[in-house]
Amino acid sequence: MGIAVLLKQVPDTTAKISVSGDRVDETAVSKWSMSPYDEYALEAALQLKEAGGGDIVAITCGPIRATKMLTDAAAVGVDNLILIQDEGVTDSTHVQSLLAAAVKRSGSDVVLCGKQAADTNGGSTGPGVSHLIGAACVGMISEVYAEGDGFIALRASPTGNERVEVSRPCLFTFDKGATELRRPNVRGIMMAKKKQIETVTSDDLGVAIGTSSVSLQSHSPPPVKPPGQKFEGADSVPVVVAKLRDEANVI
Amino acid sequence: MAYEALDFYDIDSLLTDEERMVRDMVRDWVDEKILPNIEKACHDGVFPDEWRVDLGEMGILGAPLEGYGCPGLSYIAYGLICQELERGDSGVRSFASVQGSLAMYPIWDFGSEEQKNHYLPKMTTGEWIGCFGLTEPDYGSNPGDMITRAEDKGDYYLLNGAKMWITNGTIADLAVVWAKLDGVIRGFIVEKDDPGFTAPEMTGKHSLKASVTSELVFQDCKIPKDRMLPHVKGLKGPFSCLNNARYGISWGAVGAAQSCFSSAREYALSRIQFDHPIASFQLVQNKLAWMLREITKAQLLAYHLGKKKDEGTWIPEHISLAKMNNVDIALDVARMARDIHGANGILDEYPVMRHMANLESVKTYEGTHDIHNLILGRYITGIQAFTRES
Ligand SMILES: Cc1cc2nc3c(=O)[nH]c(=O)nc-3n(C[C@H](O)[C@H](O)[C@H](O)COP(=O)(O)OP(=O)(O)OC[C@H]3O[C@@H](n4cnc5c(N)ncnc54)[C@H](O)[C@@H]3O)c2cc1C
Repeated sequence: MGIAVLLKQVPDTTAKISVSGDRVDETAVSKWSMSPYDEYALEAALQLKEAGGGDIVAITCGPIRATKMLTDAAAVGVDNLILIQDEGVTDSTHVQSLLAAAVKRSGSDVVLCGKQAADTNGGSTGPGVSHLIGAACVGMISEVYAEGDGFIALRASPTGNERVEVSRPCLFTFDKGATELRRPNVRGIMMAKKKQIETVTSDDLGVAIGTSSVSLQSHSPPPVKPPGQKFEGADSVPVVVAKLRDEANVI
Repeated sequence: MAYEALDFYDIDSLLTDEERMVRDMVRDWVDEKILPNIEKACHDGVFPDEWRVDLGEMGILGAPLEGYGCPGLSYIAYGLICQELERGDSGVRSFASVQGSLAMYPIWDFGSEEQKNHYLPKMTTGEWIGCFGLTEPDYGSNPGDMITRAEDKGDYYLLNGAKMWITNGTIADLAVVWAKLDGVIRGFIVEKDDPGFTAPEMTGKHSLKASVTSELVFQDCKIPKDRMLPHVKGLKGPFSCLNNARYGISWGAVGAAQSCFSSAREYALSRIQFDHPIASFQLVQNKLAWMLREITKAQLLAYHLGKKKDEGTWIPEHISLAKMNNVDIALDVARMARDIHGANGILDEYPVMRHMANLESVKTYEGTHDIHNLILGRYITGIQAFTRES
């Protein structure tokens, strides 16, 4: 069984984001991390491997700095690492075709990824890739295990948990999973250090990146929150009530 | 907010990928497991067992030792581990220092093949905790005059005496105990269930509250013959261990200082007095600049010493300088940071007072500040000034 896990490196959720000009200033991002939902996908991939064997390939499409994230993935047990150089691609359909081509080339028949990336929150990668590789897509799952020739995936639904049975090839996108990502250890780090990262371009993958159908106009920081208001003494009660009713609409 | 470690001279760029990954692993663990729980651990006066398990699972105990299942990391990596652990709390770093440098190291360097195979694999995974018994109630800076004695009784050794201030003592599965056999200091491995051995915990500490400190009492304590470390005699034994632990402390102190600096900087930027952030006042900036300067120097000292450890070109006096200097400045940084936090600085909401109190112990153990001055004094002049004799 070949397992592919699609990972994206994003600014850490605790890192301060600043906008310079009309773009997020990437050089000012103090910490880059694996996108949190992808961590759950990675953990699930490791558990699938532990239960049923097979090699895991981690694939990312991104700049060189993303190699660090791939090495981190190797430190917890991923076997093969592929970096697709993003060549400034911003169009998510392009990213999907690059990832799909790399998945196909790896021969994996089950693919795991996060339901959305923590930076763009687009949510299109999983479904897009599954479409291109002709795999069934089960979205927003929290757990998956192999059963027979296929898999059982669990996901929350408004009425309880759904169990979805699916056959290969298939792709799962992960919501918050049931278990946290395992921590690396020194042994894993020493192994990871020896792992080669295969770097490929769109040409290597035979993907023609045409002109973009979308273009990013600008980034802007969220509006500054107006300062809080302070009221003192019993006399202010009517004012507070009026504000809560008319301005905040909470009573 | 993600923790941004002060690294003014970009020491980071000097590290190997492996060293950085180990550092990040420990840093993340400290963020996740230590910082949210340390105040409670201090309040309860316990070292949570979960931390032992995690340290073992990460595979960082006995970091620079090779073979017998040990990690075999560089001394730089070992230093970084200490730095990150002590950024959390000196007590956590103490646990790791004692386990790796004071308990595993003597077995690794001076033990028999059987002893190494028996103890080291279980100690590097944290399954067995070790402690190091050198200090006695009446002999601290002057351990050479220790009273604890071992007698050869034919098919066993009999230990009598008491050790004090022993980190991890009560929770330890084994103790490396230094005692005199026919007047010569030798190392013995005492196991927790050996008859005549008890390790009552010492209470009432205002410092290193999340670290266990104990007495070790030997009353006709009988231990098998194969528990003596065969390959070392005299003070060289305990002092070799101390060299490694002191080296780790020189990095650990940097971690505690970085934590205090980053808290002070943040606080100074957000605290408004006289209509302006206190960070905008020259006196406060002077304090922050002093911290930056001293921490940067301490980092360079630790890093260069680490390189010398890895190359094997160090002498014990190099370590004395780094231990003494780095703990000294860390303590001053902590005090200054406490001052910048005003009244808030005494609260457990901020790490500064805890680091400050911890560093008082760190200044004293592993050779007091002044004992290291005396070591350097002897190095410079060739005249020992520890005692008036000779
Ligand atoms: C929290 C904690 C944990 C510890 N853990 C361990 C452990 O795990 N194992 C272990 O064996 N020990 C441990 N120790 C003991 C520690 O190593 C000793 O406290 C230390 O060596 C100093 O000894 P002392 O406290 O007896 O002080 P003393 O030696 O009595 O020193 C008191 C003061 O006198 C000064 N002084 C002493 N001699 C001279 C001199 N010749 N000239 C000038 N000044 C001098 C010292 O610098 C110091 O300021 C620990 C201590 C603490 C506080």
